[in-house]
Amino acid sequence: MIISSAKPFEEILEILKDEDDIFVVGCNACAAKIHVGGEPEVLEMCQRLEDAGKHVVGWVIPSAACSVASYDSLVEKNPAIKDAKTILVMACGSGVSIVAGVVDVPVYPSNDTVSLGGRTQGEVVPELCAMCGECKIYYFGSVCPKSLCPKHLLNGPCGGSVNGKCEIDSEKDCAWELICNRLEKIGRLDLLDKIWTVDEITE
Amino acid sequence: MSRTFKDKLTSNDFLITAEVSPPKGTDLADMLSDAELTRGWVDALNVTDNQKAIMRMSPLAVSKALLDGGHEVIMQLTCRDRNRLALQSDLLGAYSMGIRNLCIMTGDHTTKGDHPKARPVYDLDSVQLLSIIKNMHNGYDIAGNPIENPPQFVLGAVTNTDPSKKAQMMKLRKKVKTGIEFMQTQAVYDISMFESFMESIGDIEVPIIAGVIPLRSANMARFMNGNIPGINVPDEIIERMEAAEKPKEEGMAICAEAIKELQKLCRGIHLMPIGKHNNTPTILEMADIRKKQ
Repeated sequence: MIISSAKPFEEILEILKDEDDIFVVGCNACAAKIHVGGEPEVLEMCQRLEDAGKHVVGWVIPSAACSVASYDSLVEKNPAIKDAKTILVMACGSGVSIVAGVVDVPVYPSNDTVSLGGRTQGEVVPELCAMCGECKIYYFGSVCPKSLCPKHLLNGPCGGSVNGKCEIDSEKDCAWELICNRLEKIGRLDLLDKIWTVDEITE
Repeated sequence: MSRTFKDKLTSNDFLITAEVSPPKGTDLADMLSDAELTRGWVDALNVTDNQKAIMRMSPLAVSKALLDGGHEVIMQLTCRDRNRLALQSDLLGAYSMGIRNLCIMTGDHTTKGDHPKARPVYDLDSVQLLSIIKNMHNGYDIAGNPIENPPQFVLGAVTNTDPSKKAQMMKLRKKVKTGIEFMQTQAVYDISMFESFMESIGDIEVPIIAGVIPLRSANMARFMNGNIPGINVPDEIIERMEAAEKPKEEGMAICAEAIKELQKLCRGIHLMPIGKHNNTPTILEMADIRKKQ
């Protein structure tokens, strides 16, 4: 799923400072699952905008903001969108773009889109996939170095890790530490020996 | 004609290399006088490439100035700041200016330096960069286009020295497979760990040049343990530094003792003092490994 985080409300008010008659579009896919665009968040957003003196003309939660078929499909769900002078989309960047493609008023994001990740055991896990278009994750114990390693290193770790943590973030495990642990667990440390040549990557 | 670094690599000499830093500015005088302190003592000077991701003068320009001053140079080149076009183009320039020795590395991430918002490149990694330079030697660039009068560099790489780090050791072997002719290491303080490291790569014939950094205080040792990747200062050395009346002198003595031990274990040492090379001749004299040449 696409991992997004909610912008601070003050920032949203700032980007909407010259706008009014706002229609809020949520997203019942990724954004709902990580609580930045589902019904509770949309209702809260409408309330907070009203409290801040903005007029909210209505809201809708399509099954996925990135799959909105047409303007008419939004009207069908809530005709109040016809009165909108501004739309606030509570989804990822794709959702914002798709919605903007079917309406004729300014569209703003309420979220910052972070990465392609997931959610498991109650935890949001960011940066699982770099969407490089040539998946070789099975060579790395299904831990993607293109996404998790800030240097995108395929031939092994840099020398910058301290105590198994990433050079750029001491809170984060070094991707290559995770890769090695996983390959050891599945008995495939031999996969580490593969040399990735320049020809094999198109990034 | 004097022997080149390459000649010495293929001899049985115990090698001494040292690091010099390009200036943060346009005046080369301080760097050149620092290099002068090492003249006659070292076999080659490594010129760092925006080390620690802190912007400084290009290693290309500094290497040229050192060559003009009659020094043998190992130009460091990282994968952080240049894509494959810039890397290859700088390499052609380096060779045409007389630079013959390269030390290739990934490079510290931009977020660690003084321009944390700079976009890091890492178009190639160190293993790939080494491989493509070999292709350049054979007369082809990455795209397979011919290169006229191809360069012929002496290629080196870097490594940490903890043999328990599986992935690091695997990467070292990949670098060796690219055909490198020397390898310089992160600073070594734990001689017994270094001995295990050397045993673990006993089948590798590439000359290993062990890094050394003279300690200046116990605090510096403790700081490096927690913050500098690949460095492990053992407790007994920290205690010696703590107990010393003159910590700088003690640090030099510890460094000289390490050099004596390393002489039995590997092919050379690489001196990376914090600051200038004022004490480098004294340390080498204390280690009794070389007279000024």
